[in-house]
Amino acid sequence: MSTQTAIRESRVSRTAAMALMLVLAVYFLLPIYFLLVAATKPQGDLASTFGLAFSHFDLAKNLGTLFGRSDGVFGRWALNSVIYAVLGAAVGTLISALCGYALATFTFRGREFLFNVILGGVLVPTTALALPLFLLFSATGIVNTYLAVFLPSIVSPFGVYLARIFTVAAVPREIVESARLDGAGEFRTFFSVAFKLLTPSLVTIFLFQFVGIWNNFFLPMVMLQKESLFPITLGLYEWNGQTARVSLLQESVITGALVSIVPVIIVFVLLQRFWRTGLASGALK
Amino acid sequence: MSTTVTRVRIAGAVVAAAAGLAGLAACSSPAPSGGASAPSCEPAKGTVTLQYWNTVPGMDQVVALWNKKNPNIQVQTKNISNDQYGTIGNALKAGKAPELAQVGYDELPYLRTQDAFVDASACSAAPAAKSKFVPWTWSQTSFGGTGVFAFPQDTGPMALFVRSDIFKEHGLEIPKTWDEYATDAQKLHDADPNLSITFFDPNNAEWFNGLLWQNSATMYAYAGDKWHVTVESDHSKQVAGYWQKLIDAKLVRTDLANGSTPMYAAYQKNQIATYVGAAWGYSMFRDNLPDQAGKWTIVPMPTWGSSAASGDWGGSTVAFMKGNTHLYESVAFNSWLNTDPEALALENKLGGLYPAALAGSALPALSQGVPYYNNEKIFDVFAESSKNIDTSFTWGPTQKTVNLALQDAMAKAAAGGGTLTDALSSAQATALKSMADQAIPAVAGD
Repeated sequence: MSTQTAIRESRVSRTAAMALMLVLAVYFLLPIYFLLVAATKPQGDLASTFGLAFSHFDLAKNLGTLFGRSDGVFGRWALNSVIYAVLGAAVGTLISALCGYALATFTFRGREFLFNVILGGVLVPTTALALPLFLLFSATGIVNTYLAVFLPSIVSPFGVYLARIFTVAAVPREIVESARLDGAGEFRTFFSVAFKLLTPSLVTIFLFQFVGIWNNFFLPMVMLQKESLFPITLGLYEWNGQTARVSLLQESVITGALVSIVPVIIVFVLLQRFWRTGLASGALK
Repeated sequence: MSTTVTRVRIAGAVVAAAAGLAGLAACSSPAPSGGASAPSCEPAKGTVTLQYWNTVPGMDQVVALWNKKNPNIQVQTKNISNDQYGTIGNALKAGKAPELAQVGYDELPYLRTQDAFVDASACSAAPAAKSKFVPWTWSQTSFGGTGVFAFPQDTGPMALFVRSDIFKEHGLEIPKTWDEYATDAQKLHDADPNLSITFFDPNNAEWFNGLLWQNSATMYAYAGDKWHVTVESDHSKQVAGYWQKLIDAKLVRTDLANGSTPMYAAYQKNQIATYVGAAWGYSMFRDNLPDQAGKWTIVPMPTWGSSAASGDWGGSTVAFMKGNTHLYESVAFNSWLNTDPEALALENKLGGLYPAALAGSALPALSQGVPYYNNEKIFDVFAESSKNIDTSFTWGPTQKTVNLALQDAMAKAAAGGGTLTDALSSAQATALKSMADQAIPAVAGD
């Protein structure tokens, strides 16, 4: 009885919380709403009509222009972004999982030291690494290739950290021990036993990586010069720099920006369920 | 206890890693280029690859056309529109400049003082191209001498964009002189306090330079081994005084930036009746104000006296950059790029370039009526404007600094804290000071 009153909140505070969340939701969604509206307008309406109200609904035409521009280079950029983000996140997640699993399951000299060094890597912003990486890559001759963006994308110290925490939480030692007793090798144990237990957690790591690579701008800007290798972010930036000469590019930049957030939304919606469980299982420990 | 040890170890490892990176960086940083040999025009044996940096939308497609036709001279483009001069400057410092790069007319003298170019006149095709370009553009790329450091690419001959319906509504003729323009400004404003004849963009020194150019207000001259700085002259003071009067009488808006959304909104609301613009501006109105199709006309700039004169606003060249060892191939490509009708047509269509080549005015796209402008042949006006541009106008070696000083003072004048004539004096002082700082010999006056 007494616990009930303690948990129950007053109507006022609940309303206040709801109001605050509503305000925040509007605040966060307004730019997306603007983008949605602007992407449906012809160039001529961008400056001359109110930004948050629909005018001519030209979304289909804008999309046609966007994908038709410069021999369909935008489609190429979109494909590149997908390649960088999906492959990079998949390989990155696998490596992180292997590392994190190893750090959690095996006891060896220097384990904590190694883990701390990797943790230190979390503190170094990827932007700060772009220039040193450029110098390294230009010495090895892989600047201006897919690898120049792909290789740095598969490294994720934060992923390793999460994978270790998740392994400790989700993979009981006893299961690993019994798999070994049954004669499974270490890789077999990982892929057949631990991997399934870790799946929700790995989705979390994958999502982090995917969004990070999808939104990455500075690294491709430093590494790439060939337009055909650009991800969407860099391509839109280049177009935006040319609007002074060709004003119609502005419309394509806006429509392109809208298109570029669609895959991220899809991935989030599809993987949301896994993600929640993943976060929760990590949070328990 | 163990944590302390770990921390020390980590610190050591980080230092070691950093040292490793620094070492690698030192190894890979480019060695200074050796002594440059005198430029020669030997064709290379085998396939040559040229780098060409530019800011033109769709230029990769123009170059693809060339590459298809010329398997032995392959060109790679790089778009540097987001930091044009920063990128070029860094590449020059690193000794890794491309063979060809896009450089604005007003940046040529500065980059020349930085030893950024090679003289392509060793190739006989380079000086021979002179007759293919509008005269004033060639005098810019040769610095008035016999060298050829760049080929002109596009220009921005100026003209007056007029809302003919507004003028008709108020029973006004379209002005032919700046005096008539000022009178009309007053009449329009009297008839409708929300209506201004145009706007004065205080953050656009390039535009103001075009106005000075029209009045033969030469800002620099190079003679007797030194620069003569005349940013502040009778000609320039006439222009500054004129616009100052319009600003003081609040006949022109000073709160709009060229090409900005508020600018288009003001035009959309019929608050501004003219636009003092350049050839490349024709598509700005067509694309951003489609509702006003048929209401615009383009006429020559109002003049100061009775004789026709015009100025240029914007435009670029394609320069032969330092370290270029393939001059023969570079001249061949550069010449095609900027004089071949097929290339010019494509650049105009994709990149909106208004060509500097004389052949440009014969392009179908530039000799037909434009639907947005009542099917008027607006490019005839720009072609005529281009012919009336003073060929002796010279940019200074510290133009960027001077432009910034001019803009600072123009912004103050627009806010009522000074005059445009003051802006000229401060730009003049800045020009002399920055040249003195760089040990470039310069004196004030002719």
